[in-house]
Amino acid sequence: MKPGRTSLLLLALTLCACQREERQFRLDPPISASLQAVASMPDGISGAPPDTYRVLGKPYASNAYNLSQGKQLYTWFNCNGCHANGGGETGPAFLDGWWRYGPDIISIFVSIRDGRPRGMPAFRDRLTTEQIWQLAGYVQTIGAYSAKTAAPARDDAMQSRPAENRAPAKSSFASDQWPYPPQ
Amino acid sequence: MREAQQITATRYSELDQIDRDNVSHLRLVFSFRSGQRGAQGAAPLVVGSRLYLLTSFPHTLFALDLTSPQPKVSWQFTPQSDPIAAGLACCDRTAHGPVFDKGRLYFSTLDGHVIAVDSDTGRMLWDVAVANPHQGETLTSPPTVSGGRLVIGNAGDNFGTRGWVVALDAATGRELWRHYTTGPDRDVGITQGFAPFEASDRGPDLGSRSWPAGAWQHGGGSVSGPSLYDSELELLLHNTGPPAPWNPEQRAGANRWTSGVFARDPQTGAARWFTPLHPHNVYSWVNGTANIAVDRPWSGVNRKLLLHADADGLLYVLDRGSGEILAADPLLSPEDARQASQDDPSQTPRSGVQVRDICPAWVGAIGGDPALAASTGILFVPITRLCMDIEARPASYIEGTPFMGANVRVHAEPGKERGGLVGWDLGRRKAAWRIDERFPVASDALATAGELVFYGTLDGVIKAVDAGTGKLLWQWRTATGIMGQPTTYRGPDGRQYVAVVAGATGPYGLASQYWIDRRDATAALGLAQSIADLPAPTDPSGTLYVFGLP
Amino acid sequence: MALSTPIAVRLVLLAPLVLCGCAGASAGWQSALQPHGTQAMALNRLIWILIGVGAIVWVAVMLVLAGALARRSRSARAGHTVDTNTERRMGRAVGSAVLATALIILGLTLTSFLLTRGLSASDARALEIEIRGHQWWWEITYLSSQADQVFTTANEIHVPVGRTIHLQLAAADVIHSFWVPNLAGKQDLIPGRDNSLTFAAQRPGVYRGQCAEFCGLQRAHMALLVIVDPPEAFEHWRRAQLTPAANPTDPQQAEGRKVFTSKPCAACHTVQGTSAAATIGPDLTHVASRRYIAAGLLQTTRGSLAAWIADPQTLKPGNNMPDVPLTATELQAVSAYLAALK
Repeated sequence: MKPGRTSLLLLALTLCACQREERQFRLDPPISASLQAVASMPDGISGAPPDTYRVLGKPYASNAYNLSQGKQLYTWFNCNGCHANGGGETGPAFLDGWWRYGPDIISIFVSIRDGRPRGMPAFRDRLTTEQIWQLAGYVQTIGAYSAKTAAPARDDAMQSRPAENRAPAKSSFASDQWPYPPQ
Repeated sequence: MREAQQITATRYSELDQIDRDNVSHLRLVFSFRSGQRGAQGAAPLVVGSRLYLLTSFPHTLFALDLTSPQPKVSWQFTPQSDPIAAGLACCDRTAHGPVFDKGRLYFSTLDGHVIAVDSDTGRMLWDVAVANPHQGETLTSPPTVSGGRLVIGNAGDNFGTRGWVVALDAATGRELWRHYTTGPDRDVGITQGFAPFEASDRGPDLGSRSWPAGAWQHGGGSVSGPSLYDSELELLLHNTGPPAPWNPEQRAGANRWTSGVFARDPQTGAARWFTPLHPHNVYSWVNGTANIAVDRPWSGVNRKLLLHADADGLLYVLDRGSGEILAADPLLSPEDARQASQDDPSQTPRSGVQVRDICPAWVGAIGGDPALAASTGILFVPITRLCMDIEARPASYIEGTPFMGANVRVHAEPGKERGGLVGWDLGRRKAAWRIDERFPVASDALATAGELVFYGTLDGVIKAVDAGTGKLLWQWRTATGIMGQPTTYRGPDGRQYVAVVAGATGPYGLASQYWIDRRDATAALGLAQSIADLPAPTDPSGTLYVFGLP
Repeated sequence: MALSTPIAVRLVLLAPLVLCGCAGASAGWQSALQPHGTQAMALNRLIWILIGVGAIVWVAVMLVLAGALARRSRSARAGHTVDTNTERRMGRAVGSAVLATALIILGLTLTSFLLTRGLSASDARALEIEIRGHQWWWEITYLSSQADQVFTTANEIHVPVGRTIHLQLAAADVIHSFWVPNLAGKQDLIPGRDNSLTFAAQRPGVYRGQCAEFCGLQRAHMALLVIVDPPEAFEHWRRAQLTPAANPTDPQQAEGRKVFTSKPCAACHTVQGTSAAATIGPDLTHVASRRYIAAGLLQTTRGSLAAWIADPQTLKPGNNMPDVPLTATELQAVSAYLAALK
């Protein structure tokens, strides 16, 4: 091939890669209504997400924009007052990958939406369903067992712990000593 | 009973059977394991031949019969509790009693109840809800009994509550009066008889006019520590906590009546005087340490004094009658006494900017309640030496959630030990001796007529030191950290015993819990990393240890 | 265009482009060429001096260029000879042009210095206002030495005419820039840094400003209004802003307040006098007293409030106000309540 055509081909290939992920700011109303239809177990631990969640490609745990929005919501709604930056305070830590109600995103969603008995307030009337999903996805990322491709935005506030996309919880399970007393 | 009351007021006991010469022979007589994780900070109470022990939240009150060699439980009482309060106890030293008056026991609960039970049978007499945990309010101090009234104040600065103090009728639990620590004069109880020492504190509605519009409604100023009743002057003295939120940019002004000391009329609650200690407190220095009232000569004249060991590391000596500050001497040595100044703009927390090495940290320089040996005029003060890096952020008030607006990391000063005990000579206004401790000392001090001072460390060692020299005379390792009040009593057999409840409570207790991940520098409000080397407890249950001579 | 096209034709064809700019500048309330503040006046003077001097220099250079082009065709045919007189003349001409350039630049620098050195001067009697830039709205706090005179509003500033205003500029998330062209120049709002801007408005009126630093998707919809009032009108407005929110006057407004405080609205906004005390979104205590909502997006009417609450993401995609699901009755009630918060 002549050099001119090679460079044209390369240029065309480069431009194809410029298509960025679509950001949907406004979910269609039937979809956003269906995202509320989480089928959780009676004790609020684990359960099944709505079908639309799967069809959308599990966006709240794997999309950088949603994770970043979740991170913003985390400080806006005072989560770091009881959970610090994932290290815990009166509320449990997320960083260590130990989840009182299981690591499933449904459990986290139900915890935020309905609250939990020992002091977790219910945010059902303070956040929209989509915001709760974004928060749940971000919280799960803090204690993820393996690094995700998508990462939330960097810390603009005081940096106090390993970044979320370095999967800090992985190290808790790497050692053979189980650090926590039996419950 | 007089013993118990005196110990509550000054943490000094007249008992001298155990003294400097024989304390090294002290041995464990019995222990009682409550089975409940953690403990509350108040001392176990001994009345007659019974020892009353209240566990941490959710509370159970045990009555132990001391007449048998291995004490057995005479009765126990577990009130109903709202578990939401477990998520609210973050920052104040939690102590709930019980206190004894006329055959009844009174105690407070973390979820906002004051309860009266019969001391012989444990039957509940009344149970009154005074604080609402769904709004972030909790109770973290025991009620103060005076003249047929119980007085208690709330905790919850970090949740944007408004501070208040309430008086209940001891017989029925009916609320007699309630006054707030922020807001217009009629809420605060400021009337014609209010005579603060400083002229700048006189003026109408300072409790709302020293805040931006509406900010006083979530202004903090909680009364998280115990109130002190002065029977001579008929005064009720209590501290007010720091203002909310931590972010000072959202609450311009002097923020009355937070971070100070109030004196009130016990019958009506009307304010007599107020002394501000940190107007517009930008460091959120807590104010829950118990005050001590003592009559002593001061500059040659006999005066009624109030000793207030403050979070900023100074011992304030106030005149109980007028509120005048007579002295404010640093308890720490000059090399240690680095104190951040909020007049310095480079040391003032601002949004989006990290301000480093603010000493003392928010948790304050005073670890536990001090004890006073009035005869020698020495005050024994448990201290901590911690500094913080703080970054203010905008805070939103959402009911039931924290209202803080700050990221904070706490660390030790390099090269210095994190805690200690100071024997402060009131007459000479300087330290007679100082002891260094590896960890912050969160337990209260106990002084006895046997020239001894007892205190406990965060890694679970109870120690007895010589009150005159500070020399360590006896120590004993328990199964978990000691963060409460040691006490001493005369048993049914006429012998003196020393008792302490070991178990995690308060902010250091929280920072040592298993659910905290110490890799986050801001965990447990920054404290988790400051005590990262604290070993895990052998047994985290709250356990009573009683020691006696062989 | 081909090089052979005459210059005059080129100028005529380019003129419309230049004049378009002037058309925009004559919009009035957001124009740097219609200054009504002392700082903007100084900048305006500098603008015209620079344009004038620049234009004269440009015309002179064009004339010389035209002359040189005309002569070049003649001398190319005549052949190149070195004539010392011509050389000397040309040397003098070039030398004087270089000297003139230096003098003009020096003169312009001096002018710029003299005109702009007083721009940030503030005095002790200045009105202090803190502006914090958020994505994508302006949080405005009027400061005072008396704590209870401090209040917060959003997106609209009222100032008294003639008084020096000292703005303390801060940012909550990313870099923004404050620019009200009729009154002053631009100044950035940088997170973690304290910047300030001073201006003094000379004529009452309404002036529009906008964010002048790229701050995200909706930067184009981050406008603010500066309303310059006579002193009595300003004082009246200031006292009204200090009062808590108006109480509902009919059952629908009462229902609206209940909806507001029980739904996610109260978790983001403040309305003084109710339980809503959050600072994530703009303060709504006196939202109906402002001319625009959503940072200059829509004029404040009950309908636009309802439209905004019903579907903010279509009106301003990507902004931080979520789609709060409300029934039609709730929407009517809450918009009635907000429209009454004057």
